[in-house]
Amino acid sequence: MVDINRRSFKDVDWVLLLAPIALTLLGCLGIISTEGADVTRSSHHGFSLFQKQLIALGIGVLIAAVVMLTDYRKIIVAIAPFFYAFVMVLLVLVLFVGVEIHGNKAWLNVAGFSLQPSEFAKVATILMLARHLSQPREGPLSIKDMAIMGLITAPPIALIYLEHDTGTMLTFGAILGSFYFIGGMRKTLVVAAVLGVAVALVAVYPHLRGYQKERIDVILHPEKADPKGYGYQTIQSMIAVGSGGVLGKGIGQGTQGRLGFLPFAYSDFVGAVVAEETGFVGVLVMMALYLMLIWRLFAVASGARERSGALMIIGFIALIAFHILCNLGMVVGLLPIMGIPLPLMSSGGTAIMSMFLCVGLALSVRLRRFVN
Amino acid sequence: MSSRSFRDESPDLGMRLYVVQYLVLAIFIALGIRFYFLQVVRHDAYTARAEENRIREIPIIATRGSIFDRNGQRLVDSTPAWNIVVTPEDIPKENRQETINALVEQLGVDYKLLMTELEDPHRPKSQPILIKQNATKADQAWVAARELEYPEIRVEDQPQRIYPHGKLAAHVLGYIGEISPKMLEDPRYADAGYKSGDIIGLGGIEAQYDLILRGQNGKRLLVVDSRGRQIRELTRVEPIKGMDIITTLDIDVQRVAEDQFDSVGQTGVAVAMNPQNGEILAMVSRPAFDPNVFAENVISSGENRAEVRAIMNDVTHPLYNKAIQGRYPTGSTWKLMMTTAALEEGVITPKDSRLVCGHGIQMGNKFVACMGNHGSPDIHAAIVHSCDGYFYRLGLKMGIDKIHDWVVRFGAGAKTGIDLPHELKGIIPDREWKKRVNPRDPVWKDFDTVLAAVGQGSVAITPLQLLRAESGIMMGGEFHTPHLLKEARETQLFKVKTYEDSTVNLVLSPTTVDIVSYGAWGVVNEGGTGGRAALPGINVGGKTGTAQVIAKEKVRTKEHQDHGWFISFAPLHTSEKPEFAAVVLTEHGGQGGLTSAPKSRMINAEYFSKKLGHRILPELAAKPDPGKLSQAPKTPAPNPGRAVARVEQGRRR
Repeated sequence: MVDINRRSFKDVDWVLLLAPIALTLLGCLGIISTEGADVTRSSHHGFSLFQKQLIALGIGVLIAAVVMLTDYRKIIVAIAPFFYAFVMVLLVLVLFVGVEIHGNKAWLNVAGFSLQPSEFAKVATILMLARHLSQPREGPLSIKDMAIMGLITAPPIALIYLEHDTGTMLTFGAILGSFYFIGGMRKTLVVAAVLGVAVALVAVYPHLRGYQKERIDVILHPEKADPKGYGYQTIQSMIAVGSGGVLGKGIGQGTQGRLGFLPFAYSDFVGAVVAEETGFVGVLVMMALYLMLIWRLFAVASGARERSGALMIIGFIALIAFHILCNLGMVVGLLPIMGIPLPLMSSGGTAIMSMFLCVGLALSVRLRRFVN
Repeated sequence: MSSRSFRDESPDLGMRLYVVQYLVLAIFIALGIRFYFLQVVRHDAYTARAEENRIREIPIIATRGSIFDRNGQRLVDSTPAWNIVVTPEDIPKENRQETINALVEQLGVDYKLLMTELEDPHRPKSQPILIKQNATKADQAWVAARELEYPEIRVEDQPQRIYPHGKLAAHVLGYIGEISPKMLEDPRYADAGYKSGDIIGLGGIEAQYDLILRGQNGKRLLVVDSRGRQIRELTRVEPIKGMDIITTLDIDVQRVAEDQFDSVGQTGVAVAMNPQNGEILAMVSRPAFDPNVFAENVISSGENRAEVRAIMNDVTHPLYNKAIQGRYPTGSTWKLMMTTAALEEGVITPKDSRLVCGHGIQMGNKFVACMGNHGSPDIHAAIVHSCDGYFYRLGLKMGIDKIHDWVVRFGAGAKTGIDLPHELKGIIPDREWKKRVNPRDPVWKDFDTVLAAVGQGSVAITPLQLLRAESGIMMGGEFHTPHLLKEARETQLFKVKTYEDSTVNLVLSPTTVDIVSYGAWGVVNEGGTGGRAALPGINVGGKTGTAQVIAKEKVRTKEHQDHGWFISFAPLHTSEKPEFAAVVLTEHGGQGGLTSAPKSRMINAEYFSKKLGHRILPELAAKPDPGKLSQAPKTPAPNPGRAVARVEQGRRR
């Protein structure tokens, strides 16, 4: 163990640890800037959102350190099922004693902090999927495997459906899809699935509810949208981003977020605030940090000693990339509003902690790439 | 260490990893391009929209200039009024009902009226709705205390226009209202910087001199948050008050002139002018309206719409200024122009001016009557007794072409150029005109000439045109432009502005002018048709006229009664030029000598009483001051030693 410890310090992938910390701090800048802008925002126990974010970062780094020093295989094989079961119980609990914030009943009050079990559920599901695929196999993914993977993902999707959190449901779909793909699904099925999703999107559109339709219409025809209607947030976000320019308005100098034109500027639209205040340069820094994180994850996955670690990390990549795509796509007016936060940057303690859990697991894989 | 990679156990895992990797890269590149597009390419457009969001411009309404009479009496005023307004776009959707309840329950706003305004699809949501005018201190405090709760409700300073004398000189002063969308399409207004919601003069001096009365609005640029709450004030541009206008009106003469109609319930026109410079001292048109109704409509945002509509739809057209928009046959007042023309043309001469009256004239199968039988009068007697028979024959001697040319030369029928909007031209018929309007009977006949010679038939001019034309004759051929602006007081925006009179000069022989003015003097002072206009000590001259509305035998009701004219000049037939000219038209009043001459007398009496410093008629004051009376300066005595003497030779006594 001493040997490992000594080597581990030299071998810790610092980029993999520091990039997410930097992203969390960048998100904090956006959160401070909009602090006090929205008077309706609930601020429990005197902690501001910024302070809570820092506390979550501290806990997150701690989690990452502990997990890093633990053998990830042990976690996948021995702990994951219990973690998964525990999180499912929490998701059920949310339905009964959950706290509703902004129309979503997704939070549990624990010791004065609100906890969002669905964030942990994403990690738990990834671990379970990786666990299922851990055994070496030949040939394409069998229908039976696909069905079992579907069954692993079904409970969280069902429970989150009951919370009316569409965005998170989509995330689980993306995770499952990425595991199907990387697990070796037949190419014909891949093509069929991609086509099927495309057809489904077009087919579903006419049956959407009014506000959902309007949120999509504003993307398709921003000039025709009612600026006070459901397109309001998208339009205000684009104004925030566009008015930021190359260098931004300066930290704390933004008007869209600070003066409340941009709703949820501290959570879903924190990317818009950062873009407004730090400009295109800041956006490039942010995207570079994300790319560094993801590229390190790819490197770790490629260099992983065995299958389950690699698959787990690809699950994390899918999770992070899907969130970035949906969130920033929404911020720049390319995708409709789905309520998907920006990983590491949006205000939300549980999300930060679960992200650092992922980072810790990745670091653990990295440390053990040469170990038997 | 194992050399066996897990890759070997999975079907084309390496390829699939690359796919995922490239997919992620593609997503980032797409997002990067989009950020570049928004932040670099479209930066300016979005900056503008962010500013629009953040910065709100609140106008500070400039106080409109006041309007005074020539002696500094205030005719129109503006006072500050604190109004409560609500901006519809700032009412939060989810709390709309709450705001509405607060307005209705706490501020006592009428629910129905509020909802019609709020739901009016044509009203821009950014334009504040006025919900309470002249708000009490308590209401203002209520709004101030709830600034955070209801930032959409504000107290605003909107000066209120006040016409302290109500209907007095309403047609001259005009009225104000909100600029209409139609006016804004007119480049005249758009180019002058008028904006939607601006208050603009819509009639009279208010409209004519709007640009100098309105001043320049100031503005406050506020930084607001998404709820419309003021964060701070960026800049403040103070408004510039509009120019005060001093008119040529004399409020006392105006009041007396109006009383002449109001006390007997008659309608018509009276205009008093200084013929020496064109200054209008009084201008009356009856029926009239109260401009305060329109001013209140502006600030009450429609509460008294019904009253405004009642004025607009009134069949008697109280908004019409008949002095410049009413066109009437002149009747015999025309004869002063005819006489001047005939003498200048040499059709009659001072020595040889006799024509037969004949109690009228036979024109084919029609007999056109004179109201009396005047034998064969000379020109003086013909004027004094208003002998139609004489002028029928004079007209035939001159011919329509000469009549028309001279009358047009005097300016009758053309716009006088008075500084009021919507002045109309008149009709002075000639051959061309008849051909154009009467294609079935296009040829000008002697019968038409006979009617035209006494200002009947198709002749139709405004009272002001008549006044200007005949005043010019009495001035010896000096035609001034009637006007109301004496001076506009200097402000930061404009220098002092005074009226620049333009004068038309006609060469008239002094003899002609003397004969005409002596005739007019005789009408009043020698037992003529205008005897009721005579004033002790003042050499008033004038001419009566009766404008036929329909054929005499058809007169049954009051509406068929003739219009009675009287035009007066004073002093006349003295060594001085007249300084006061007045025209009075009593609609359906019957003969001018009976109905309008007494009105003219009172108007003249008021003017000269004021000028001389004592009441020259006991009716005008409860207690005439005898002491003052004796000290009063004497008016010039008649001067018969001039051209009149020459006429006298041929005069029948």
